[in-house]
Amino acid sequence: MKPEEFSLARDSLQAQEPSAGLRRFRRRGYQRFLAFMGDIDLAFVWKRRWFVITMVVGFVLMALPTPPGLTHEGQIVLVMSIMATMLFITEPIPLPTVPLLIIVGQVVLLRADPTKVAQSLMTDSVLFIMGSLMLAVAIVRQRLDKRIAWWIVRMTGTNVYWISFGITAVCGVIAAFIGEHTVAAMMLPVGVALITLTSGDPRKVHNLAAVLLFSISYGCSIAGVATPSGGARNAIIISYWKDFFYNPADPATRRFLMDYVTWIVYAFPMFLLRLPIVTALLIFTFKPEVTDMSRAVARLRTQVSMQGPMRASEWLTILIFALTIVGWVTLSNDLGLGIIAIGGASLFLILGLVRWEDINSGVNWGVVLLYAAAISLGVEMKATGAAAWVAGSVFTVMREIGASDALGFNAVISLLTIAVSNTMTAGAAVAVLAPIVLKTAVAAHQDPIDAGFITAISSAFGYLTPAAQPAFTIIYASGFLKGSDFFKIGIRMMALSFIVLMAISVLYWPLLAP
Amino acid sequence: MQKTLQTLRSQRRNRFRILACIDGTEDSLITVRFAARFSVQDNCDLIVLFVRPIDSGLQSGGLQVRLARENMLEAGFELPGVTHLKQALEALRQEGLDVGGWPRESRRSEAWGDPAGDNKLEFASPGGRTVVLKLKTAPDVASGILDQYELGPYNLIITGHPSRWTGELMAVFRSGIVQTVTTMAPCSVLVARNSFDKKGFFICTDGSPRSTQAVRRSAVLARVTGEPITLFSVAASPAGKSAAEDAVANAGALLKAMNIPVAETRVAVGRPAEEIVEAGSLYQVIVVTDEGRSRLARLARGSTATEVVRKARTSVLDVR
Repeated sequence: MKPEEFSLARDSLQAQEPSAGLRRFRRRGYQRFLAFMGDIDLAFVWKRRWFVITMVVGFVLMALPTPPGLTHEGQIVLVMSIMATMLFITEPIPLPTVPLLIIVGQVVLLRADPTKVAQSLMTDSVLFIMGSLMLAVAIVRQRLDKRIAWWIVRMTGTNVYWISFGITAVCGVIAAFIGEHTVAAMMLPVGVALITLTSGDPRKVHNLAAVLLFSISYGCSIAGVATPSGGARNAIIISYWKDFFYNPADPATRRFLMDYVTWIVYAFPMFLLRLPIVTALLIFTFKPEVTDMSRAVARLRTQVSMQGPMRASEWLTILIFALTIVGWVTLSNDLGLGIIAIGGASLFLILGLVRWEDINSGVNWGVVLLYAAAISLGVEMKATGAAAWVAGSVFTVMREIGASDALGFNAVISLLTIAVSNTMTAGAAVAVLAPIVLKTAVAAHQDPIDAGFITAISSAFGYLTPAAQPAFTIIYASGFLKGSDFFKIGIRMMALSFIVLMAISVLYWPLLAP
Repeated sequence: MQKTLQTLRSQRRNRFRILACIDGTEDSLITVRFAARFSVQDNCDLIVLFVRPIDSGLQSGGLQVRLARENMLEAGFELPGVTHLKQALEALRQEGLDVGGWPRESRRSEAWGDPAGDNKLEFASPGGRTVVLKLKTAPDVASGILDQYELGPYNLIITGHPSRWTGELMAVFRSGIVQTVTTMAPCSVLVARNSFDKKGFFICTDGSPRSTQAVRRSAVLARVTGEPITLFSVAASPAGKSAAEDAVANAGALLKAMNIPVAETRVAVGRPAEEIVEAGSLYQVIVVTDEGRSRLARLARGSTATEVVRKARTSVLDVR
């Protein structure tokens, strides 16, 4: 036969019948299995391992018999707190998911009324946190950083020690009112500009960079506790004092309605006392390569002069900011901190100084949700008796280790808070710990006001890593600092801060007690 | 729907359909060249296939990749694989199969929820020959190739040769694309290597009915494509040499009856796979008969065909 007489289709390799019926079904099933396996990322599962562990731990603890003296609801709230703490520390899921789970847990596990749970989420403290963040965005958008820096160097001169002190002081004063991360974000460009104007090679001025940048971050950090509006943790403690101890029928409990000025009286000295310590410690730890910064200051002056005179919008910003602070100081007892903060933010929007889109993108709304749910859980801890039960157990231990006097009590709760706040965000640490600390103070016959301040202030002592504080994270992003720099200065600062706090708690606060 | 499919399949069974799989590398275009050389008659259909894994999976960002793909498509960017299929078209032209003037028809179908889905461009010659460029989406490449067979069926699947083969034991759990396709494909598979500088089909037989069928069918392919045929048989021991000679003689007689000339007959003694690989390395294609053993059976009893496919230094046609 000739080649063309063969038909390949008929005579050559044959096509088998495609699989049908069960085999086809199996094949499609296998393909779906492959598609499913493609969606499973072992690395993803590994990243979520702490979520799984937390859930397992939670269910086991909830299934255990209720300890004597604790209600079943109290047990569930305690377990939810433990689970929330584990999730806060390990962060296996996006942080704003934790408050969502807390909210769901309150309704599903505690059988709480959904409307009441929803109501417990939006308190004045939460409004205050929200308003403060909105104010912060509005202020940062005005780009006042260079003018502030120029104002500082005009006061301090060109010596790096005085500039460091000036930056710490001014950053501190501003951060006392509007939140540390805001000031850090606002002032970081100034710090970097001063470094680069001094030397084109950052490696040659690493110590100078450390001094200037840490001046910004520590200024923000030490002042965050100075006023109620300095940080979310302060608002949370104020909220707990009111929820736990204020009884409208009992005039003696009115002191638990903490007003703005009283807080300042209690906490501002912590900022003032540590202000010179920060500068001294920075200069001692990082001996700057350059002490005279006249060249950088001259360039800064040129840059500011190019901006021209203060614009109307900048004056308005300062005016609204000042009005808000005056409102907090004088009207917060009647209107609440949150309403004043929101009023200030509204003024910025009404006058067109900031766009809503900027606020919307600048505020991390998940953080607001986080604090709302944490406060709500803290209130549940009190309502179900869980906080009192844990407090009783903690107090028993403290008595056994001889920490039942004022100094011992303060030291133990401060160290406990420092330990927790070095592993999670300060606000969350306070939200979880404060209910227990406040109830323990009652059991130990200590003043809950002092205990609350100890908790709030100690939660700001997480100084060891770049991730420990928002202000640290921001300056670390500049790339001028090493992770080890944070530990080198942080461990000293932590020890000194602890000593100052203990001194104030036993020498100063008793003078303020009724 | 089912009836239409049955009609389509029965029509396709009257055609010689070749599935040439490419993966975007220059080497993989050898499959297209082989396919062009084999599809010499008007009853041939040549399908060039590029399988793209589904754009999902959290390793690569999950949904974001899918969204990015949608944006790219909307912006008019080409899908991955289109460029390779164009290269395949050029390779066909170089082999004398120029489809430039043929009427064309393109079709797109949804697949696995992927925004790109399955896309094909079909060229049909006036004489009835068709060339199809297919861009397929599948959970994985091997599964996509085997799935394409189900839509066929095909007489021959041509794949490139992999850089390495997994051992039989490991292959029970996991194997590469080519290894999976050669093992699982219901039809004959050609594992193509660059052997165009050689001539001839080196057809191996052991005298069994299955092997005789394979000889007959592969010899027709060789005859039609104008390649000389060498018949080869291996005796495991000197005592079996006469049986091997009989196998070759019978195969030769069969082909003679079909009026297919045999250029050469050879017999060797030794390990079949080693002897075939050694002797066959001088030819363009070694033809072996698949024993039809499952993975577990191959693990227990071994498979000469599989061993040849793995070890050969030239292209190997595994006939089923």
